[in-house]
Amino acid sequence: MDEEPERAKRWEGGYERTWEILKEDESGSLKATVEEILFQAKRKRVFESHGQVRLGMMRHLCVVIDTSRTMEDQDLKPNRLTSTLKVRKRGDRGDVGIITTKNKRAEKLTDLAGNPKKHIAALRNAKDSTCGGEPSLYNSLNLAMQTLKHMPAHSSKEVLIILSSLTTCDPANIYDLVKTLKALKIRVSVIGLSAEVRVCTVLTRETGGSYHVILDESHFRELLMFHVKPPPASASSECSLIRMGFPQHTIASLSDQDAKPSFSQAHLDSTSGGPGLSLGGYFCPQCHAKYTELPVECKICGLTLVSAPHLARSFHHLFPLEAFQESPLELHQGERFCVACQGELRDKSVFTCPWCCSVFCVECDLFIHDILHCCPSCIHSRP
Amino acid sequence: MKLNIEGLLVYFPYDYIYPEQYSYMLELKRTLDAKGHGVLEMPSGTGKTISLLSLIVAYQRAYPLEVTKLIYCSRTVPEIEKVVEELRKLMEYYSKEAGEKNNFLALALSSRKNLCVHPEVSSLRFGKEVDGKCHSLTASYIRAQRHSNPSLPSCRFYEEFDALGRQVPLPAGVYNLDDLKDFGRRKGWCPYYLARYSIVHANIIVYSYHYLLDPKIADLVSKELAKKSVVVFDEAHNIDNVCIDSMSVNITRRTLDRSQANVETLQSTILKIKETDAAKLKEEYRRLVEGLKEANVARETDIYMSNPVLPDEVLQEAVPGSIRTAEHFVGFMKRFLEYLKARLRIHHVVQESAPQFLKDISEKVCIDRKPLRFCAERLRSLLRTLEIADIADFSAITLISNFATLVSTYSKGFTIIIEPFEDRTPTIANPVLHFSCMDPSIAIKPVFERFQSVIITSGTLSPLDIYPRILDFHPVTTASFTMTLARTCLCPLVCNLRNPQHGAFWEGGEGPVIRNYGNLLLEMSAIVPDGIVAFFTSYIYMENIVASWYEQGILENVQRNKLIFIETPDAAETSMALEKYQEACENGRGAILLSVARGKVSEGIDFVHHFGRAVIMFGVPYVYTQSRILKARLEYLRDQFQIRENDFLTFDAMRHAAQCVGRAIRGKTDYGLMIFADKRYARADKRGKLPRWIQEHLTDGSLNLTIDETVQLSKHFLRQMAQPFKQEDQLGLSLLTLEQLQSEEMLQKIAQIAHQV
Repeated sequence: MDEEPERAKRWEGGYERTWEILKEDESGSLKATVEEILFQAKRKRVFESHGQVRLGMMRHLCVVIDTSRTMEDQDLKPNRLTSTLKVRKRGDRGDVGIITTKNKRAEKLTDLAGNPKKHIAALRNAKDSTCGGEPSLYNSLNLAMQTLKHMPAHSSKEVLIILSSLTTCDPANIYDLVKTLKALKIRVSVIGLSAEVRVCTVLTRETGGSYHVILDESHFRELLMFHVKPPPASASSECSLIRMGFPQHTIASLSDQDAKPSFSQAHLDSTSGGPGLSLGGYFCPQCHAKYTELPVECKICGLTLVSAPHLARSFHHLFPLEAFQESPLELHQGERFCVACQGELRDKSVFTCPWCCSVFCVECDLFIHDILHCCPSCIHSRP
Repeated sequence: MKLNIEGLLVYFPYDYIYPEQYSYMLELKRTLDAKGHGVLEMPSGTGKTISLLSLIVAYQRAYPLEVTKLIYCSRTVPEIEKVVEELRKLMEYYSKEAGEKNNFLALALSSRKNLCVHPEVSSLRFGKEVDGKCHSLTASYIRAQRHSNPSLPSCRFYEEFDALGRQVPLPAGVYNLDDLKDFGRRKGWCPYYLARYSIVHANIIVYSYHYLLDPKIADLVSKELAKKSVVVFDEAHNIDNVCIDSMSVNITRRTLDRSQANVETLQSTILKIKETDAAKLKEEYRRLVEGLKEANVARETDIYMSNPVLPDEVLQEAVPGSIRTAEHFVGFMKRFLEYLKARLRIHHVVQESAPQFLKDISEKVCIDRKPLRFCAERLRSLLRTLEIADIADFSAITLISNFATLVSTYSKGFTIIIEPFEDRTPTIANPVLHFSCMDPSIAIKPVFERFQSVIITSGTLSPLDIYPRILDFHPVTTASFTMTLARTCLCPLVCNLRNPQHGAFWEGGEGPVIRNYGNLLLEMSAIVPDGIVAFFTSYIYMENIVASWYEQGILENVQRNKLIFIETPDAAETSMALEKYQEACENGRGAILLSVARGKVSEGIDFVHHFGRAVIMFGVPYVYTQSRILKARLEYLRDQFQIRENDFLTFDAMRHAAQCVGRAIRGKTDYGLMIFADKRYARADKRGKLPRWIQEHLTDGSLNLTIDETVQLSKHFLRQMAQPFKQEDQLGLSLLTLEQLQSEEMLQKIAQIAHQV
């Protein structure tokens, strides 16, 4: 279902004048430009390393999704809403809450929580909901502000608005609210789905966020990925150490007759079904409350419970892998095979790791930087 | 930065320069070198003003004997202020770089209303009231009377100025209107008279067109300006209309009634004076016999600029005997008024030339041409002699006397049209006598003749060759500059919606077009962020369309996307609508402004950035072709200048269309859609008359689009433009540092920017 609409309704593309970027080479062939375009698309995501900058690793992010009338526009297939929700699925360390806005009101879809599963479920439900009316920037920001206001000062408080509409229906002067947000150090970023709106420009500029407008779906995805990366922390935010618990997962073996199924603390207040009782789980090292999923904040003692991989996931943001050096294939001497995939190097550029001087193809370069976050060859050579 | 423009050292107060600015300065320098006139078109927002100022100031410094003064004419007070601010920046840069205090004096001049500091007078609301009140306090005979009777009110600012102000010149510096007022308050001098006095020795004067073009004002203010001046008319695309308006006279019944009253007052005053002070009238008589010799001498020695209302022949002769005595003159005016009244009692339209009119008047009431020519001068002299304080009251009779002089002086270039009623209300009798000037070159001729270089410049002057023809002068430079852009920030699109005829409203067969217009607006309102400005061809047309949209429910749908504001002929209402429009754009609600080409909004109000992301031009803004004045003018143009009617009409329509759509782009960081919703724009004759900087981006792919195509292209454009755009992106392409400017390659590119005609 997810992949299907991408290809299916191409005729709805209407007047996307893709031929405009094409240029014929000297022999009249288009091949070179097509390859160039594909190549550029692959390399687009540039790694701008922040260098030694303190990053706001503890993020509290409110995602505001516009579900107004304009979301039904078909310029992203099959319509803007489905496309948006599709793109939204991603995992990250940090607490996320989702707010939707339509009919001049704002509703909280999910509370701030670190667990991505719940959000994804909620989003899946939202996919079928209807869009209508006008969004209200004021109301949704206000709601987000109420949620974020009480977060500790060391964490980075952010609001990400995915705005499709070009108008907003506000009950009061939004510029007052912008001032309040600025005072509370809440960073507001906006991804516009249609065009640049003045009020968003001001909003993001004042609160220190970023403002982007998408060009097409892939650009949209890219912009969202940009927001995954933690922003540099502002100098004024205080630093503090955070107590964290690393509970071990204990599974009472089925053979153990004494094991009794018990409730997870997280499930106690959730109305959504799911298996209430389970045998094993994570036990808070401080108060031994049981949880089935991590990361979570202990309901009893307030300790942040994480597992080591969760922390590791954020680690690469602090020490990103350096970009590989690009050089034309002709200049490359030595083996004509990619170190990672063992495939032949056919593209016109190759990528060299500055540390171990191994050579990679484009695909592997992207895979290493996007997913692995470490050079496989370096790991071999540096025990 | 310091530039070297063909051997001239130019100080430019910014670190970066646009290539077209450099090119503009080159052309300007060549014009000044040749001591000729120039017509230069450069898009708005590319720093025309600062280029002009820095080059001319540099020229003045380098060749102080060649160019002594810069006269910068602009249209409105805010524009004047903007020029002065740029000038201030330039002067600061000079004193910083050169290290010395330069002795440049630059000042702005405006009416008494904007400059008066007298606590009572300045609180009056209308310009005329301020002028009248000021006159009643400061006229020479009032002040003479005060010597005998000190209890009369006076203006202490003027008195102070008169006593001390003329001895010491205004210290060097840059003065805008507020600075002048401050200075005046501090010294206790009248800023208006101070400014008027100081323009004689100022290096740079910034004021309104009218001070140079309107003969009535120019005679007072500008006639002593040095011959070796450079005159710049900025935003000059309407200069021919300004010229024509300043020379045309409209006489209604009301004017005649008021003149009648004026004449009565004159008569009674003359009687009174005769009893008390007969010598005064005798003295005047003697002066009139001697004629206007003094003025003639002054003009011959090049001290004064000639005044088109005061023709040369008049100066050489004495005032004819028939109107020399005051009573005779009043009787003469009475007869003339009676004649005009009789002429206005008609039921059909009359059109005649000036000679015909003169023949008729001499047959019917025995008024000769000669005394008529002296009318204006004679009346002025009489008003002076009678010591009438409140000149404003006599505006009606002054108008009549000006008319008399003009009609008897010019046998060509004017026409007289008497209409018994207005076209719109054929049942209500409202006779008007239009004495209409058809030749703009009459008013501007003295300017071209007197001053060494006259530069006509604007963002939209295309087609450039027509201005020299209708203004009757020979420019040495005629050039159009394009805008170098790092990204194409303007997107002109021509939409095909089956056009109506000539912009006028026809009852039948318009339905589908109106609906299409509505659909276009609706679609655009959904995809364009913040502000949209839509222009219609006339108020009536707009009213009709908006009414049909309302019936069809289009307005309701549009309002779901954006708020709608409408321009009306009422200025107060319009400025209110504008204010609310800007507020709606500012806080994200989005708004549409429906306005009229040739209206207040289309001229002089800028829609920068989010205030105007799209401009839609519905129809081609042809002037109202049924007007008799226009018809007469077209005929005249054809006969005298060999300009075909069609060419002129298209030219006029296109310059207004260009003005309208040009409102959206006010700089290189700005961006905006320009939608021409009429397929006639796609035709070569219309397209070719758009300014080159718009034409350049009007490719074949953006012509004859359907609504859907327009929407798709606009969406794409808006997304593209919303991508981050930094100054670095412009550097080297459309923004240059000094090093980049000096590179050989760039100089070659710059040479292509200017497009000589």
